[in-house]
Amino acid sequence: MTPTDKSAEKFERQMNLLAALSDTVQGIRAVDIQQRVPGYNADHESFRRTFERDKKDLLSLGVPIEVVAGATADLTAYRVDKSKYELPDPGLESDELAALHLALETVTVGSSPGDMARAMWRLGGVVDAATENPFGVPVGELTEIPSDASLVPLFRAVTERRAVSFAYESATGVSTRSVEPWHLDFKRGRWNLTAFDRERDDQRTFRLDRIRSSVELDDPGSQLHPIPVSPVPQADPWEFGEDEPTLTRVRFDPEVADFARQSLMSCTSTDHADGSVSFEVPVANWPAFRSFVLSYLDHCVILSPETARSAMVEWLEQIVAEVHG
Amino acid sequence: MAEMTAAERLDRTLAIVPWVANQPDGTASIREISERFAIDADDLRDCLIITSMVGIHPYTPDLLINAIVDADTVTIDLPDYFRRPLRLTAEQTFALLTSAKALLSVPGADQESALARGLSKVLTSLGEASETAVDVGIATAPDAIIEQLRAAIEKRHAVEITYYSYGRDDTGNRRIDPWAIHSEGGLWYLQGWCHSSSAERLFRIDRIREVVLTDQAFTVPDPLPTFTLFDGSNALGQITLELQPEARWVTEYYPAEAIEPHPDGTTTITLAIGSLPWLERLLLRLGPEAKVVNASPSLAGVETTAARRLLALYRG
Repeated sequence: MTPTDKSAEKFERQMNLLAALSDTVQGIRAVDIQQRVPGYNADHESFRRTFERDKKDLLSLGVPIEVVAGATADLTAYRVDKSKYELPDPGLESDELAALHLALETVTVGSSPGDMARAMWRLGGVVDAATENPFGVPVGELTEIPSDASLVPLFRAVTERRAVSFAYESATGVSTRSVEPWHLDFKRGRWNLTAFDRERDDQRTFRLDRIRSSVELDDPGSQLHPIPVSPVPQADPWEFGEDEPTLTRVRFDPEVADFARQSLMSCTSTDHADGSVSFEVPVANWPAFRSFVLSYLDHCVILSPETARSAMVEWLEQIVAEVHG
Repeated sequence: MAEMTAAERLDRTLAIVPWVANQPDGTASIREISERFAIDADDLRDCLIITSMVGIHPYTPDLLINAIVDADTVTIDLPDYFRRPLRLTAEQTFALLTSAKALLSVPGADQESALARGLSKVLTSLGEASETAVDVGIATAPDAIIEQLRAAIEKRHAVEITYYSYGRDDTGNRRIDPWAIHSEGGLWYLQGWCHSSSAERLFRIDRIREVVLTDQAFTVPDPLPTFTLFDGSNALGQITLELQPEARWVTEYYPAEAIEPHPDGTTTITLAIGSLPWLERLLLRLGPEAKVVNASPSLAGVETTAARRLLALYRG
């Protein structure tokens, strides 16, 4: 038998298996699969091996095979729920299909190109990209968005409303966090997760590059708290803290005022006659905010509260003392 | 068929079969299918012939997939299964949403474009939770600036830009031949020839405050020099720091000349320094977490001078 024949046989057998699994509501027992689906060996051991491999292949494509437990392995039944298998028809026009395909080829997020071609088949195949640029802006260079091992599990958790747990490193050390993921965002080169933190009983933002374990997914629908209706705000580093936020006033010189505005877009600001600008920033993570202020060198000064001013003075004094002390 | 793995063949066929069955009269041309699904016409024919033998027990004709493969066309009539393609996996959905949203976040992107319409249809079909699941911002630059730069690149005319140099902590004007725009790590960069420094330079677009188009034409080098982000200049010499464990991120963040970890958790690192403000920021941020153990003469005492200058702001 040539390899091609074997491969064709396998293809036909797996198609028949999937048809049998899709056509049942109660599930079809392994023993019936062996007898009714063409291509399986009469020998029990050899059937089991082939069947397990086929099942694994189908699962890897994303086929939702459900198991209905029986008294013994042979009485265990299997089925595919059509409502979970079928892709609802998005009704894509060919220019939309072409645009989505081009997007997948232009921006990569760590996934292999082969996997993305398969996504396009399911959406209706790839049609020739329209000659006109479908994004409305020229995109010449390939853009790569950094990937992270936690991204896909957390995305599943958001879309399937699952609670999750993971080990997380914060300023106080590594601890296990039990959260309900609401939203993922990519901002300034980093992936962040906004979630409801069950222990802290409040919304928190987590940096994906600080997750120190794999993400453990709970059951679908295990989230208890509804996603807030208003868009989840994107957080800045100084908001990633365990402390109660302190409203801190800072002032920027005119030459850096525009850049400060870009960084502190969501904060209340006051423009001054000399071109400088001040902001009121809720600070929940002092070291992160101190670093932000220091990155502006002489062009930024903390105005209030007094505790923040003296913390900054103390920090700077330590640097001076280091050398002379 | 040898090149395709069995899994690929299955995946593709499960997409092709419902697509053909949903065409008018359940008919499509072999050519169109093979183009759309990137499959060789002979392979396609083989797959479809096998498919015509697929069915369920007891395999009476009404329970089989009815696939008629002619010379140029194929007609498929389906029993009550395989009528829709398989759902996307979580990986596929995530990549699709992220890449489409990333492109639509580019300043000036047309929110009525085919991509925007396509994304919105996909989101609707995926359900409520997917719509707000992910946000991607690969642009932080003001739309107007990026538009002006694009126009200048297209026209091949030099521009005068007002630029804030983070490395020099200084705002000034420069004349640039704008070559290309790149995006990396969520930020946009302008690559071009800087007349003020007579060298190729990269500019963070979010630090450009103003762009003025000039009449001066230029030619783009062919090929374009490779886009590399870090300028490992050591014009000012080197500095060696002893880092406390909390400051070890520095070793991952900046290209070092030498790194030596010690058993007590501290690390000795040597960095090449091309800019004084850059070094000041680093040492002020690290504070007591870093100790200067050796520095080129021009860099000696940088951290105390900078710290005293900032202290004056709070005591003045």
